[in-house]
Amino acid sequence: MRLERLQWFGLVAAPLTWAAQHVVGFGATQAECGVGGMEWGISNDVWQLTMLVVGGLVVVGSEVAAAVVFLRTRNVGHDDPPPDGRVHFLATAALVANVLFLSAMLLDGIASTLTSLCRGG
Amino acid sequence: MTAVGLLERQWTERPGLLGWLTTTDHKRIGLLYFWTTLVLFGAGGTEALLMRTQLAQPNSHVVGPEAYDQLFSLHGITMIFFFIIPMTTGAFGNYLIPLMIGARDMAFPRMNALSFWIFLGSGIFLYASLALGSAPDAGWFDYVPLASRQFSPGRNIDFYCLALIFNGVSSTLAASNFIVTILKLRAPGMSLNRTPLFCFAFLAASFGLLFALPALTADAVFLYLDRRVGTHFFDVAHGGSALLWQHLFWIFGHPEVYILIVPAFGIATSIIPAFTQHRVVAFPLVAIAELLVVFIGFGVWAHHMFATGLPTVTLIFFAAASALVVIPSTIQVFAWCLTILSGTARFRTPLLFIVGFILFFVVGGLTGIMFVAIPFDQQMTDTYFVIAHFHYIIFGAAVFPIFGGMYYWFPKLTGRMYFELPGQISFWIIFAGTNLLFFPMHVVGLDGMPRRVYTYPGGLGWGTYNLIETVGGYITLAGILLLFGNLVVSYVRGERVGRDPWHGPTLEWTIPSPPPEYNFAVIPHVTSAYPNWEPLAGDLVLDEGHQQPITTAADGELAEIAQMPHESPWPVLLGLGLALVFALLVVEKFLVAGIALGLCALVLAAWHR
Amino acid sequence: MSAKPVAWWGMMMLVAAEATLFGTLIGTYFYLRFSTPHWPPGGIAKPGAVVPIVLALVLVASVFPLRLGTRAGIALALLMQAGYFAYAVHDFADRLHSFTPQTNAYGSIYYVLLGADHAHVAVGLLFDVWLLANWRTIGLRVITVYWIAVAVLTLAVTGTILSARA
Repeated sequence: MRLERLQWFGLVAAPLTWAAQHVVGFGATQAECGVGGMEWGISNDVWQLTMLVVGGLVVVGSEVAAAVVFLRTRNVGHDDPPPDGRVHFLATAALVANVLFLSAMLLDGIASTLTSLCRGG
Repeated sequence: MTAVGLLERQWTERPGLLGWLTTTDHKRIGLLYFWTTLVLFGAGGTEALLMRTQLAQPNSHVVGPEAYDQLFSLHGITMIFFFIIPMTTGAFGNYLIPLMIGARDMAFPRMNALSFWIFLGSGIFLYASLALGSAPDAGWFDYVPLASRQFSPGRNIDFYCLALIFNGVSSTLAASNFIVTILKLRAPGMSLNRTPLFCFAFLAASFGLLFALPALTADAVFLYLDRRVGTHFFDVAHGGSALLWQHLFWIFGHPEVYILIVPAFGIATSIIPAFTQHRVVAFPLVAIAELLVVFIGFGVWAHHMFATGLPTVTLIFFAAASALVVIPSTIQVFAWCLTILSGTARFRTPLLFIVGFILFFVVGGLTGIMFVAIPFDQQMTDTYFVIAHFHYIIFGAAVFPIFGGMYYWFPKLTGRMYFELPGQISFWIIFAGTNLLFFPMHVVGLDGMPRRVYTYPGGLGWGTYNLIETVGGYITLAGILLLFGNLVVSYVRGERVGRDPWHGPTLEWTIPSPPPEYNFAVIPHVTSAYPNWEPLAGDLVLDEGHQQPITTAADGELAEIAQMPHESPWPVLLGLGLALVFALLVVEKFLVAGIALGLCALVLAAWHR
Repeated sequence: MSAKPVAWWGMMMLVAAEATLFGTLIGTYFYLRFSTPHWPPGGIAKPGAVVPIVLALVLVASVFPLRLGTRAGIALALLMQAGYFAYAVHDFADRLHSFTPQTNAYGSIYYVLLGADHAHVAVGLLFDVWLLANWRTIGLRVITVYWIAVAVLTLAVTGTILSARA
């Protein structure tokens, strides 16, 4: 059922994308500012902005998926039997969660490019 | 014989002490956790009151510095690992989750028992250190290099490392059990959209435990190896990193604090609909918020390290995530408040504790947001302002719902009603006491009073505030004693009640009080997220052996009927074996410990014949 | 996709916890590396590539006999895995002549990471022996999941150790 796949994508894609951007982003700053980091010739800003754009696109796609499922099931009640009841429930949840993860990615990506590079706080 | 008679005969365990030692009944295990954690809560509370008594006046000599170090370390370790977690997950979770999902037991009943015995063993292990005068004394977060062998040569920190590794096994097993139970043992018809919010909260906390504990385990193993085997994980002179301890600790530690409060959110979110007779506003958002708080909470750990000199470009990730982790909690607070306002609120004792919880949580949450600003955090690190923040959160957001939950489910566990007036009075005394105890800490913290000092000089203006805090501590004690006194007297003399004194929303209110050993004579078929508010149907009696339906994870469709294991000596024996292993490790008898571990493997093999 | 039995889910919980543990150990490896100018430090030779890669492939290959679903399959897998283990332990012990966990932080993380991997293989061997003595299909299914996880983790550990050659 295509609705099913869209619902799961809409739910799990954004958290996983943010998690990857967050961990890789943190790791990239450790490598950049650490004594033993390897020189790949890509500046930290390029790393962070690339991850932001790619990740951001995935999350936007995920939100579109969640919205499509939500709208297709908008006449379903919260207590309704599965699968529709469950699909609508998870799409509703995903709709809000995806906005949160997009905000998180924007904050992570923009903040790390605007901050000065390895100076301590 | 009737079906009920058959069920009773099959599910009733052997009598007496042997019955308790071999039990696999989730309700008995829940009670075992309950009593044990209450004793440990008493220990943690005593540690707190000793500290408060010492700090009531400047230049005091009630306890000396070395003893004080052990007090604050044990207090933190005990309250977090040996009170809140086992009380919420071990006691409330174990007892209630199967009841709320319409199941007859947890997915892995014997492993459930093992979790308890390991927990008990780890608690005895930790407090053995106190009896030997070697309790951990480097704080609950035990930073290196203070905790390294060079600066802590005694056994104190070895007890710390091993107690936490040992305790971690219990929580990991418990978390696994909850996840599988909540996903696979729900009654037919209970799809995810019809699953109680309490279950979402426990699912979130369990995922948190599963993914956070390995970091603590690795950290504690590294420290133990550095101390006793001569490795160099944290030894800067040989290429190690002292900050590595902090990173790993907080990768565990921050999710841990969400794990502390999320089950309590689940308790709150059960009490509110019962005492407002109204469905929870924005149910899907509250459900996902439980999971989001823990998930995003994995990404904020270095906000505990803002003052360590890490590059700003690194720290900024954590400030960003910390700002956003507030949002799921806020969604829940708004949903709860709107539910209370929308329904017909009866402010009985359980709801009073939840209102108190919301007030404390909002204050603690606001001070938490303040820490997101890195410069502010750097000023306030290691001051009493931090202590104020997290006690408002922990006492407010974890302990208040626990107390409320004790009152709420008291009739279900005992078949009697508690006395309402002493209940309400106990709430007000505790509420007043905890505010007196923790609010002035904001002020002295802003004024510069550091954490973990055993005394302070006069003339700094801190004395009066500290005295008020100590008085608040004793008032809180009085309130807590009244609370437990009320429950004890109610147990003996409370008015008898039937299955559903509150017209509660969830399935535990559809069965007798106290519940029979088999929980449900007829497995319910669920058609709503508030099954006790709808007509209930069901036709699965399943009275041959120890039968339990297994359903699909997302939709609650019946997949198979399983035979559950029951009554076994192996969990308690394995618990004893593991306790022996850890006791041998703390005295560095590695070979004998290895042999003991081998014996444990044999017990495990016998268990799985 | 049919519903998986509860025991399968239980094994997935164990796999999740252990995978996280290895993630922590691998993260520690790279964290220590990023704070050290020369890696491996202290004059330690870079690790050889051939033996670790061959060993890892043997372990991956040993998963296939398990999928046959017969006692003979388990026995063959056990043989391959035991062979892997014997050689790996020999190599481990041999390398202690060059550097030890007590030499420096590289030594510490090298031996703990590899040691953890070998310990998980050892536990797997015990599972195999138990299964041969207590044959049941659900046991086979669940132990196969375990070995797939251990094979993947071993690939990750091997990759991490060999990254020192870069």
